[in-house]
Amino acid sequence: MAMHLFSGKRIGFVNLLALYCTHQTTPLAIRERLAFASREKLDAAYSSLQERFPDTESVVLSTCNRVELYVARASDAEPLTPPQLAQFLSEFHGVPLDEFVGELRAATGSEAVRHLFEVISSLDSMVLGEPQIVNQVREAYSVAEAQGSCGPITHALFQGAIQTSKRVRTETRLAEGKVSIASVAVGDFAKSIFDHFADKLVLVIGAGEMAEETLRYLKDEGVREIVVVNRSPERAQRLALEWGGRAVPWSELNKWLGVADVIVSTTGSDQPIVDAELFKKVRSASPGRTAFILDLGAPRDFTTSVGELDSVFLYDIDSLRKTCEDNRKARVREIDKARQVIIEESSKFMAEFYRRAGGDVVSRLMQDWHGVSKDELDRLFNKLPHLVEKDREQIERTVERIVNKLLHPPLEALKDEAREGTPHGLINALKRLFGLHD
Amino acid sequence: MLKTSVVCFLASYGCAFACELAQLKWRHALGRMIALLFAAAGLVAHTFFLLQRSRQADLPPLLSSPQDWLLVLAFIVVLVYLFVSLADGELATGLVVWPLVLALVVASQFVTSSSSHFLDSHRGWKMLHASTLVLGTAGVLQGFVLSLLYLWQHRRLKHRQSTNSAVKLPNLERTERLNRWSILVAVPLLTIGVASGFGLSIFSKGTDLPMTWTDPVVIGGAVTWTLMGVLFIWLLTQKRTPGKQLAMLTAWSCGFLLVTLIGLQMLTSAVGIRSIHGNAPVQR
Repeated sequence: MAMHLFSGKRIGFVNLLALYCTHQTTPLAIRERLAFASREKLDAAYSSLQERFPDTESVVLSTCNRVELYVARASDAEPLTPPQLAQFLSEFHGVPLDEFVGELRAATGSEAVRHLFEVISSLDSMVLGEPQIVNQVREAYSVAEAQGSCGPITHALFQGAIQTSKRVRTETRLAEGKVSIASVAVGDFAKSIFDHFADKLVLVIGAGEMAEETLRYLKDEGVREIVVVNRSPERAQRLALEWGGRAVPWSELNKWLGVADVIVSTTGSDQPIVDAELFKKVRSASPGRTAFILDLGAPRDFTTSVGELDSVFLYDIDSLRKTCEDNRKARVREIDKARQVIIEESSKFMAEFYRRAGGDVVSRLMQDWHGVSKDELDRLFNKLPHLVEKDREQIERTVERIVNKLLHPPLEALKDEAREGTPHGLINALKRLFGLHD
Repeated sequence: MLKTSVVCFLASYGCAFACELAQLKWRHALGRMIALLFAAAGLVAHTFFLLQRSRQADLPPLLSSPQDWLLVLAFIVVLVYLFVSLADGELATGLVVWPLVLALVVASQFVTSSSSHFLDSHRGWKMLHASTLVLGTAGVLQGFVLSLLYLWQHRRLKHRQSTNSAVKLPNLERTERLNRWSILVAVPLLTIGVASGFGLSIFSKGTDLPMTWTDPVVIGGAVTWTLMGVLFIWLLTQKRTPGKQLAMLTAWSCGFLLVTLIGLQMLTSAVGIRSIHGNAPVQR
């Protein structure tokens, strides 16, 4: 759970702070004022951060849905506070603090780790499971690296995040299935019919917004030939120009209906403009030719009987919406599984940090005890010069085993405690009990 | 050499099929991997078995017995399946391929396994006859599988079912193209097989088992070859064939060919009809 900006919660042992505003918490009007939209602005932000907070690692993640700052310092350094970062944002963007401070959220230590892992796994995205966020986080990390703003904590954090997103994508079906009408139409259905699109003729009837979106996906698949027919020639011309197609007069509709492979229809007509009889007639010159029809009009432009013809695959807005909804539900069903992966990965990440913290005490304790045993053995061997090499070795091994066995319980206890967090109490106790002074 | 039995690879193929079925419920990359491992393990055992049989009979597996001929056919199908699965690990071709492979292996246990050195002096012709027939039949089998996949995908798309289910099927255009090519390649091979068989029948005159036109395998083969020939000519003469029509025709004709050929082999073995393709006397 993220804490509110000035809740006064103490920074954890992992000296990490994430300050963010996202589409979930903050209106676009504020997000866009805090965004680092261009590379120049981002470079300037890093310079400013380095100047203002020396010896601090930082990564800035700025997308259309979120602005996030991750800052980290060595565990013994004074932690940065959310107000300090908020002040930086205010001064850098020239936005008065009181206009956005209530919209910011902060997370520290393990919460910050978990937040980033959720972001990169797209659990926090507007479209659950969307893949772009991984590249956006990678890009942010690589820019920070290029700016020399990364250090051991942020390196480990972002590499851990990338690793987590891979696990989430392979072990869950969070990113599977398209969730927008146009992407389902092209990505799921058109691609299940056609092998390639370079030789396909696309006929667009009408010039609606949905047609444009569908054309974008079709273009990505390699469509080359686009014909736009619309009652208003100007709008047809504009759409054709934008997508590298050609506009033809409305009177040629039947001619193009007869030869098109993909038909996208979005007219605002009150009545269907094509019925089965007409479609059969116009296709008679090329019988058996497959037609993929996307009827995105409401009311529909094609009668349902057209879809019953052989070699015709007709999809209306409802059938596509149903698939989108099914896919969305399937993704939602995967959230718990994804969260489980994130919990595992963030625990692993934190345990590694804590292990390193306790590791210093462990190695010193072992060094001390083995040092003492070695001194005592040397003294013993001086007193017993008649011992042969083989006997000495046996004695040395026995003593080493005794030391290891004696050290085992405290070290195991330390390891167990480290799973829950930094074992400060135990570390201090060990230091005092065994005289491990700093 | 490693001793293997039919049960070894039949069990492996059965496990691979079970893994494919399990994918319908729990789709996981590991499941796919295990299915492929079972298939590969089965194929290795299958290869050893055929080599073992070949050594025992002192004949190539294609010529030794109808049983081995069917096992070679199953071997080719599994090989193609593995190749396709490695190219696209998500395709659910196994759901259609494995029942056929299992049926072929099981059917092979109901046809004669005794090896024959009949017409051994014309081994080259016999090899040409058997190999073109087995490759042609494998092509037909592939056409059959592709037709079923086409019809499945076609049905799904017509019913506007999401393609994002556990079963990933190939797109219609590619399936149709591959199906067409399977038939266009398989039928000439079958024709060479039939023609070389006709040539062999001439050599069989004067032996104690001459080829007769009443041999059920010959009759069945001739009928199905004619049927496939008609399909072949139809494919060549049609300017543009609706994919579904092609898939239906291929599925029926290929299915008929497979059932006829394998059924007749089993029948001749079960009834004990003396046939040039089965219960031939062993010549030394």
